[in-house]
Amino acid sequence: MATPASTSANSSSKRHSILPPVSQAGPKPPVQFSSSITIADSALLTGSHTILAGSESVIHPRARLDSSGGRITIGRRCIVHERSIVGGNAATVTLSPSRGSKTSDTLLSPLPSSAGVTLADYVLVDVGAVIEAGDTVVGEGTTVGVGARVCAGAVVGKHCTLTPHTVVAAGDVVPDFTVIYSKGLRRRDLRGVPELRNKGQARQIEVLRRMIPSNPGKFSS
Amino acid sequence: MAPLTPYTFFQCPCSEPSTLGRPADGSSGAGAGAEPDADDEDRAFDPRAPRSNYSLYPLEYLLYCEDCQQIRCPRCVAEEIVTFYCPCCLFEVPSSNLKSEGNRCTRSCFQCPVCIGPLATTSLESHPDPNLLAAPDNSAAPHSGPYILTCSYCNWSSTEIGIKFDKSNGIHAQLAKLRNGGTTRLTAKERKERRKDLLQGGGPATRTAEAAVDGRDLDVDTQFANLKAFYQNQLADSSSGGNGLSSLGDMGFASPSSLSRIMSIYTGGSLHDKRSKLRIGTMREALDSDEGLKIANLDESGAIEKLQEEGYDATVSAEQISNQTPNLGEAPLHGRGRFTSELRPIPYLLRTKRSKRCPICRHIISKPEAKVQATRFRIRLVAGSYIPSITIRPLNTPEASPGAPSDTLQPLKPVQFLLTFKNPIFETVKVTLATPAKTPGRFASKVTVLCPQFEIDANTDVWDEALKDGDKDKRRRRGEDGPHQAEAGKIWERGRNWVSLVIEVVPASLRLDLLALTNPTGGQEVDTGPLREDEDLLEIPMFVRVEWEADAAGDEIGSAPNKDKEGREKRELAYWCVLGLGRVSQS
Repeated sequence: MATPASTSANSSSKRHSILPPVSQAGPKPPVQFSSSITIADSALLTGSHTILAGSESVIHPRARLDSSGGRITIGRRCIVHERSIVGGNAATVTLSPSRGSKTSDTLLSPLPSSAGVTLADYVLVDVGAVIEAGDTVVGEGTTVGVGARVCAGAVVGKHCTLTPHTVVAAGDVVPDFTVIYSKGLRRRDLRGVPELRNKGQARQIEVLRRMIPSNPGKFSS
Repeated sequence: MAPLTPYTFFQCPCSEPSTLGRPADGSSGAGAGAEPDADDEDRAFDPRAPRSNYSLYPLEYLLYCEDCQQIRCPRCVAEEIVTFYCPCCLFEVPSSNLKSEGNRCTRSCFQCPVCIGPLATTSLESHPDPNLLAAPDNSAAPHSGPYILTCSYCNWSSTEIGIKFDKSNGIHAQLAKLRNGGTTRLTAKERKERRKDLLQGGGPATRTAEAAVDGRDLDVDTQFANLKAFYQNQLADSSSGGNGLSSLGDMGFASPSSLSRIMSIYTGGSLHDKRSKLRIGTMREALDSDEGLKIANLDESGAIEKLQEEGYDATVSAEQISNQTPNLGEAPLHGRGRFTSELRPIPYLLRTKRSKRCPICRHIISKPEAKVQATRFRIRLVAGSYIPSITIRPLNTPEASPGAPSDTLQPLKPVQFLLTFKNPIFETVKVTLATPAKTPGRFASKVTVLCPQFEIDANTDVWDEALKDGDKDKRRRRGEDGPHQAEAGKIWERGRNWVSLVIEVVPASLRLDLLALTNPTGGQEVDTGPLREDEDLLEIPMFVRVEWEADAAGDEIGSAPNKDKEGREKRELAYWCVLGLGRVSQS
């Protein structure tokens, strides 16, 4: 299982990216995928702990799942967008543009051995978002906006909205139905439409399944 | 310290005391040019003076009046509003509407009261379509039922303040009739009709009952209307009973004449009455809410209870409050909301397009296209197309150390900069530069312009120049012979419409103990206070005088026959500018 993948991952795509080809470094993690998930060929899975993905979840190309800190659990009908990082220790997380510099010291401290990430059902991790490892939990129906960062040990409640580029500090607890906007201001989402949002996400997944060529076999071996 | 890129600021003549109030017409051009020789020598422009903060601009900010032949800055031009428009729907608002309806968009453009993001109107169907919210491709289906305003950024929606709309357009008018919570509000017209009904049929019993109902949620608009009606009645009564005695009692609060004076201020003179001087006596004040009496509600237990129940999250921030527009539907006295449930969507503030006029000759020097969508300008006389631009870069001579170019200037170490003048006009210009030998201020740096007088070729067509290939070699690089070395009296390099020359600076030492030694000021006390802000900044005031020959202005129509001889006239422009070269090292 610890054989480094030597193949260039984006060979299947016709359009050539200007980015350098993704090369997988580090061990190949054991995976437990539901049969109905959609995972792109060029998604990056590293680490030594198990990565679980629930039914009908979608993992975009170049999304990075790093289970070197602990097990990564992705619920049902989640979407993990490209260039987002789920899990990982300080080294991988610093690859992304770091906004919350105050979080770096917590990251550099040695993580507990089982420092995983749990994404509940219907979680949307948008482009370039970072969810650090360290028993981080993102609750059901939560949207993690573009470039947002959930630091290690934070617990985000259900049906929250993290607007783009928000930072949830390490160990922070965000109650259910919270909207974090405009440099950390918080308010309660009083719309009461979690079902609608979840249904919308289900529809979005239907479209994405058709658009993203899935290759779960590449990762499970 | 952040590295400082060299910059050039130009001084607008509007702040110069010598040109203040003097009409700068064409004939005074020669006078203005001669003036620096006469009295500017001892009154060199000081970029450090507090006043010069307000007169120095980058070239891009400046305009140019062709008639006065003078630079104009944003501070001295006179602005006129061309159009008012809503930045959200880009609709032009006539200025007559502005007087009656205020400076906010009265269509359906609103900002979120929580995060000031734009609000969108969405339908709230009774049978919510499961795919409505997140699948916009599906929302093309015909909507019905109530509409709400939603913010896509912070997820605020107008249901939070209990407001839904029946129609998807004309939200502003609908909102004006709705209180927070969804209860309707009487419009001015309805209120008037209601009062009429009361006066006709209503006895005192119904009247007080009505007042009791109204009194609790009497809003600003209604209260003012009630008060106005009440005082109008009072004035009518008192004028009928007036018997024309002395005006001794006329100054009190309750006297009719002072009241009518005040009312005429606020209502635009409709109550003004010449006979008011004759009236005396006092009037009674409003007694119930129907007459406009509003008793202050000092019982805040409701607010405290709400605070205990809902906590800090239910309160608004000072910023949110300040963004709120005056709401005529709110309760007077304590109207300003303290809870998020009292917030209202903010109609978009209108914006303007403005034209700019020369302050002296009143000619328009900048006029945008009146159409809102167009970003073009009908007239735009920017200074950049009339006066030579100046760019600065350090000159790295070969003997200078090839190491890392330091951000700061070393004190007492000569350093050379390359000034490049680029001529934007289609005539050859003659430029004369003058700088004080020492920069003003406590720490005087020595400045030498190696070539203070030169000519820049005209800004001819680029292709003409490129095609005249043989000619090019002769004209270009006229300033260089053999090894490149800065030489006094010669320009450094020359191009199609640009000339670069060398300026040599010896930055002053910032050591305070040397200050007394280097400044032999005689009996004067030397200021040896600590280094002040930006005193390490090396700024050089430079006087630029540009001369060129241009076609005579088209004003003199009669002089057509002998135009060939007198068609060319000498033009001249002189101004101060400031070259910011960098910071002097403090070590």
